[in-house]
Amino acid sequence: MSAAGLWNDEVFRLRVLLAVMLLALGALVGRLWWMQVTNAALFQHNLNEQSIRRVYVPGSRGQIYGRDGTLLAANQPSYNLVLYLEELRRPGRWQNTVTNVEATVQKLAQLLGQPPQLKRSDILAHVHRRLPLPLTAWRNLTSSARARVAERTLGWRGVAVEVEPARVYPEGALAAHVLGYVKRTEPELGEDETFNYREMEMLGVAGVEKRFDHALRGAPGEKIIAVDVSGYNYRFQLPGLAGQLGHRDSVAGRDVLLSIDPRIQRLAEHALEGVTGAAVILDPNNGDVLALVSQPHYDPNELTGVITHETWQALNLNPDKPLLNRAVSCLYSPGSIFKPVVALAALDLAQANPNATYNCPGHFMLGKARFNCWEKLSGHGTLNLHDALMYSCNVYFFNLGLRAGPDAIHDRSCEMGLGARTGIDLEGEVSGLIPDDAWKRRARKAEGGWRDGDTCNMSIGQGAVLVTPLQMASVAATLANGGQVWQPRLVLGLRDAHGSWQRTPPKLNRAMAWDAGHLQLVRAAMRDVINAPTGTGKHAKLPDVLIAGKTGTAEHGGKGEGHKWTWMLAFAPYEAPRYALAILVEEGVSGGSTVAPRLQKLMQGIFHPDTGEGEG
Amino acid sequence: MSPLVFPRPLLRLDWSLVLAMLALFVGGLFFIYSASYRAAELPVSPLYQKQLRFGLLGLGAFVAMALVDYRRLRDLAWPLYLIGVLGLALVLVPGVGKKMYGAVRWISLAGMQVQPSELAKLSTILVLARFLSNPARDPGRFSFLVLAFVIVLPPILLILKEPDLSTASTLLGVTLIMLFAAGVPLRTFVILLCGGGLVVGGLLALLFLLPDWVPHLGYVKERIIVFFDPGRDPLKTGWNAIQSALAVGSGGLWGKGYLQGTQDVLGYLPRTVSANDFIFPVIAEEVGFVGSSVLLSLYAVVLFAGLRAAAVAQDKMGRLLAVGLTGLVFCHVFVNIAMTIGLLPIMGIPLPLVSYGGTFVVGAMAALGLVQSVYVRRRL
Repeated sequence: MSAAGLWNDEVFRLRVLLAVMLLALGALVGRLWWMQVTNAALFQHNLNEQSIRRVYVPGSRGQIYGRDGTLLAANQPSYNLVLYLEELRRPGRWQNTVTNVEATVQKLAQLLGQPPQLKRSDILAHVHRRLPLPLTAWRNLTSSARARVAERTLGWRGVAVEVEPARVYPEGALAAHVLGYVKRTEPELGEDETFNYREMEMLGVAGVEKRFDHALRGAPGEKIIAVDVSGYNYRFQLPGLAGQLGHRDSVAGRDVLLSIDPRIQRLAEHALEGVTGAAVILDPNNGDVLALVSQPHYDPNELTGVITHETWQALNLNPDKPLLNRAVSCLYSPGSIFKPVVALAALDLAQANPNATYNCPGHFMLGKARFNCWEKLSGHGTLNLHDALMYSCNVYFFNLGLRAGPDAIHDRSCEMGLGARTGIDLEGEVSGLIPDDAWKRRARKAEGGWRDGDTCNMSIGQGAVLVTPLQMASVAATLANGGQVWQPRLVLGLRDAHGSWQRTPPKLNRAMAWDAGHLQLVRAAMRDVINAPTGTGKHAKLPDVLIAGKTGTAEHGGKGEGHKWTWMLAFAPYEAPRYALAILVEEGVSGGSTVAPRLQKLMQGIFHPDTGEGEG
Repeated sequence: MSPLVFPRPLLRLDWSLVLAMLALFVGGLFFIYSASYRAAELPVSPLYQKQLRFGLLGLGAFVAMALVDYRRLRDLAWPLYLIGVLGLALVLVPGVGKKMYGAVRWISLAGMQVQPSELAKLSTILVLARFLSNPARDPGRFSFLVLAFVIVLPPILLILKEPDLSTASTLLGVTLIMLFAAGVPLRTFVILLCGGGLVVGGLLALLFLLPDWVPHLGYVKERIIVFFDPGRDPLKTGWNAIQSALAVGSGGLWGKGYLQGTQDVLGYLPRTVSANDFIFPVIAEEVGFVGSSVLLSLYAVVLFAGLRAAAVAQDKMGRLLAVGLTGLVFCHVFVNIAMTIGLLPIMGIPLPLVSYGGTFVVGAMAALGLVQSVYVRRRL
């Protein structure tokens, strides 16, 4: 039969197929011979004498900088002593292995001269829940302990020193509430992802660490490593497979550049030392948050990594709640610092005449209800709007508020961003409240609708009006810059992969339609609050820098109990403001006596860095 | 009519194939036990028991298929093919298809998870056998090839969409084997192979040079890239490759002994796959080169018996049916073992008769039953 004819024979073709199939199986057998017989020793060696570990490597966490480049949150290595249980296992029941681990821990404790940090129950729990993972026996080894371990444990199976990045805040408690803190956490993994070793990840719990956790964290990498009996890295070699051992690099998290000016932040924290309160300083020209303070504060270094029970109790049970960010998460009545808003609403929307005068006998009668001025004995006498702002006369503002009507005050307040979250890049911001008729009918059904008494309370920033210190700083900024409502900008930018900053542009939310003359009148009155010898904020006066401001003292709690929130709102320099701020002190005496001296100290530090005050 | 109660065709079964099949299945049961007995905390009945039940079902299917005259299936070929393709399409309907391990391959049928691709493979082979054996068609014509591919393309594309590259390529391999057996001229066949090689090579080149242009196919892209360039991401799939090679290689000549393997027990071979797609490393580690060779010899017996059935088939359809089904077994065995010893990329493909998996065991035994249906009606 010819060759062509042969190929036309179907049975011949079947024979060819059979030959091909058997040859293919033969090739498999050949490969198996090569693996299982020729190179068996090598494979066995690799299996028995070395261990291959698959490791999950989180990206290194991005750092956080202040606007001047000061490092506010960074990473530093922490050395941990870990035990690989699979190398310490004993035949038979699990208890045998646990006993062996316990004995190893005891030996190490003697070596280190430190008591064991692990109990038998910890080891058992680890065996039950996370057997393939190494057990961390000691954290944060000192360098001498590290040296001792490296010297003496050579050749011990299953003992290794591992490096883990730890978060540090080089400036300590500075800007703690802005930065927040991180905790250690097991990475979240899919169902089929098994790792022998997962490096703990850091998870932002509060502040910028939480809000920008995703960017700061980067992307995890993986690596497959082979280690020899003493736990050191071993060069893994398998014929034909050597190239498969490898790694995927983690992607470092992105650095965050804050708008916080560490110098000003420190001054502001200093100004509020010893009291409970908050302060926010904004750049009125773009909304940059230059300082954001909440007192008392905490040191995020104490909360990062392993938190001792005592530390946590001390922070958590402290009645002053140091973890709380009062600048954005607490609501206060603004009191008299709300008056500039009321004044502008009345002037612009109700055509109130700024030169009109009202008489203040120390109180105001609305029907049978008596509303007191803070100067309730002598009263302020007859005065115009400028003087009413300067002396902070309540009676004048009761009259003005009734003239303006609640809607005008409500609308203008809301336009300035009150009653809503500013959208700052921090967790836990609250919105506050600017009440109106609809709100009252909804929230206080028993009292019926809006009454003139509510308008009176609202006119002096009391009643149901609630704000955050950040919102009032933003109001100060809007008064300072002539009506621009900027979105408070806490983060200037994130570092991109090429190392340059990707800037977040400032965001203008709104421009107020204020009459320039009215604004000028209010600003001048605020200047005189501080600079006139009789102004309520005269204790904040600086000889060479013109500061404008407004004091406020808001009563809260039951009437006559004497609980007060004391405020100041300010901007400076008066002609071309660069700083706008709000300061709140809980349980002060009055804005003028409690807050004004602190404001003066702060401004002195800001404008005269060389006078020594504040640089500490 | 025969007075015998025992169905007569069964007397003419190819007992070498039956014995090899049973040996493979029972051996598989032992190693499924070995691969899964320490996962006792699982709240389900042991895998080997489930496998045993499926095996009995499979034996029933084997006998039933052997009894059915394959020529009667000629008329059922197209309806079965349509049902198979429909099942594959159903898998892709959101809410019907069930996703496991990153691919949608299962649907629920009467409370059971079934893989429509198993039925689709068998029915496609049946239709191909019918089509290629049609005496009115000349294997030498170009249209013969084109129409054959038109038949296999719908199931292949649907299976690719799941995504299940391994099953799709298996089906393609079976098609080539059947075309060869059907008498496509040698020159055409060689051109087809070379052309196919060029296309595959081109696709690979595209995958590497312009990876963003290639549509996302789940894990498939990643695994192919890893195989050809392990440095890229040797981790997820590279891990399995290393660990299964370590298990196989460390088995040595005689193996570590039954139940003495450590790779799967220590979790180096992922427990989710060690009883099915990675059963071979478990076997090779415990019974070594000798045991692996026995396993491969048993498959050689099955392949030999299958092709012998083809050689003695009554007609061309029977021959092509036997060739296709035998080719299917061959492709599975080869790809599965080759991937665990580093010769092919890691793919989700089980070892016939041995791997754990209900639909697959029943399907494989039914396929061999069909081969026997051809054999018992052989030319004498």
